[in-house]
Amino acid sequence: MSAWIHFWGAWLIISGATFAGITVIVAWKGFADLRSMFRDLGAEKGDAARGREGRSQ
Amino acid sequence: MNFAPIDWIIVVTYLAASVAIGLAGRKYVGNTAHFLVAGRELGTWIGVATLAATEIGTITFMYNSELGYRYGFAALSAALISGVVMIFVGRTGFVISRLRELRLMTVPEYFEVKYSRGLRILTGLLVALGGILNMGVFLKIEGEFLTVTSGLNSRYLIPTMIAILLLELIYTTIGGMVSVVITDYLQYVLLSIATIIITLYAVHFAGWHAMVSRVDELMGPSGFNPIVAPKFGMSFLVWQLLLWFSIHTCWQTTAMRMFSTRSPEVSKRVMTWTGFIFLGRGMLPMLWGIAALVLFGHGPLSNGVPQALVQGKVMAPIDAMPAMLSQLLGTGIRGIVVAGMLAATMSVNSSYLLGWSAVISQDVIAPLRRVSGKAPLSDKSELLINRICNACVGLFLIFWGLYYTPPGAVYLYLNITGTIFLAGAFVCVVGGLYWRRANVAGGYLAMLMGAIGAIVPFFFLHRSESFSGFASFGLATAGLLVGSFVGAKPKRPVSQEVDA
Repeated sequence: MSAWIHFWGAWLIISGATFAGITVIVAWKGFADLRSMFRDLGAEKGDAARGREGRSQ
Repeated sequence: MNFAPIDWIIVVTYLAASVAIGLAGRKYVGNTAHFLVAGRELGTWIGVATLAATEIGTITFMYNSELGYRYGFAALSAALISGVVMIFVGRTGFVISRLRELRLMTVPEYFEVKYSRGLRILTGLLVALGGILNMGVFLKIEGEFLTVTSGLNSRYLIPTMIAILLLELIYTTIGGMVSVVITDYLQYVLLSIATIIITLYAVHFAGWHAMVSRVDELMGPSGFNPIVAPKFGMSFLVWQLLLWFSIHTCWQTTAMRMFSTRSPEVSKRVMTWTGFIFLGRGMLPMLWGIAALVLFGHGPLSNGVPQALVQGKVMAPIDAMPAMLSQLLGTGIRGIVVAGMLAATMSVNSSYLLGWSAVISQDVIAPLRRVSGKAPLSDKSELLINRICNACVGLFLIFWGLYYTPPGAVYLYLNITGTIFLAGAFVCVVGGLYWRRANVAGGYLAMLMGAIGAIVPFFFLHRSESFSGFASFGLATAGLLVGSFVGAKPKRPVSQEVDA
């Protein structure tokens, strides 16, 4: 049983540490991804609007 | 009432900010692809945030802590399997890469690519029905968490939960996946802070050695070793393995995140990193449940497990964790934690609303229109139908979710209801992608036999969840094999379909 206690103890430490670590990375780099997504979606929507104007002329 | 004014201010500020930010996504939605898969513009880290936020809700914390409370450290095996399988799927790209290459928007859409339009509609119906019923238990459990933690009078529970669902509905219906992704980012950060705070409190107040001793005293070796635990055993572990493979590849809300990424490579990275979060998503709340057992598990025994006893009041195991939080957390911290939990609730519910309504609009309504010979809808009409489906699913959940109570451990109930459609869907998708011989007859048989395999043993023969899960996957596989060998060979090779 002692082996199981150590096994679960180790996994709990790994899961807690990776959860906290990835949260920090996501908070930092996720924001940059979000801005890039807005830029691309905005450009895509602008192109679509110009396309519609072009067709109507 | 456990909440102080500062706690309420924190919670209300979070709710207002979340809705305002969600509504900002509206200006980026121009067509259905923007609405359902955010224009396929997700990068790795925002992908991780939205996938993790989607699959971590108050319901997740509640059922995982209940498992820890009832079954001790042995319960951690389920969380370990979910995380390791996700990392494996991410590293290998098993199923997800090929589905992403097809530029799909929903999982049942693949059934038309590989099998037939009829099978897509049948799968869409089963997926939507199973998914919505699965989600149906969320509101009640989340409401219980809020009531127990904040000390809110239970007569305000229904109006409060309706108000929260309506707030989610507003921004999801208007901004679709774009709004969901933006709010998921904020919600993920908040729920993670709450998770870390609760873990520190739980370990500090209960103590590691006390947790080990209490589990040993109550459960003996079966509280640590999942193979000898009566509720688990090898059959449970293998069923969990199959189930988590199917969830990480075919669960609509997870798959939608994969479809929303910039490329198949990004989808693999998102899945891998989220796999590490999944370890904590399951294991940490299970630890909270064990801590609650140490601190409050002194009530009368029920099925071999002591009920929680909090301030003289006997509570069910699922309420032990929120009761613990209401007793341990101080003013201000309680507000942050509840805001984090509300963030978790909203991120899951908004994504699930979008996911299941997308299946109804894309895989049931749109193919039925084509079958009846009607012209395809314009982008504007398609968007409108998606929004109407969203609103209808939300309204159904208000009525169903608040009045239905699941029997037994919530985790196992959710697993078995998910298996009803996941077993068939997983077998059909894997067979379709990796086996040239898989055909329409095999697809129908797999979906139907997978559903029968879960429903008949569990609901009518009253066999265990593990047995029913096994039966479901086994029958679905047999159905695909028999149907494909007996039926006609498919005309197109799989590689052409994947490249289409």
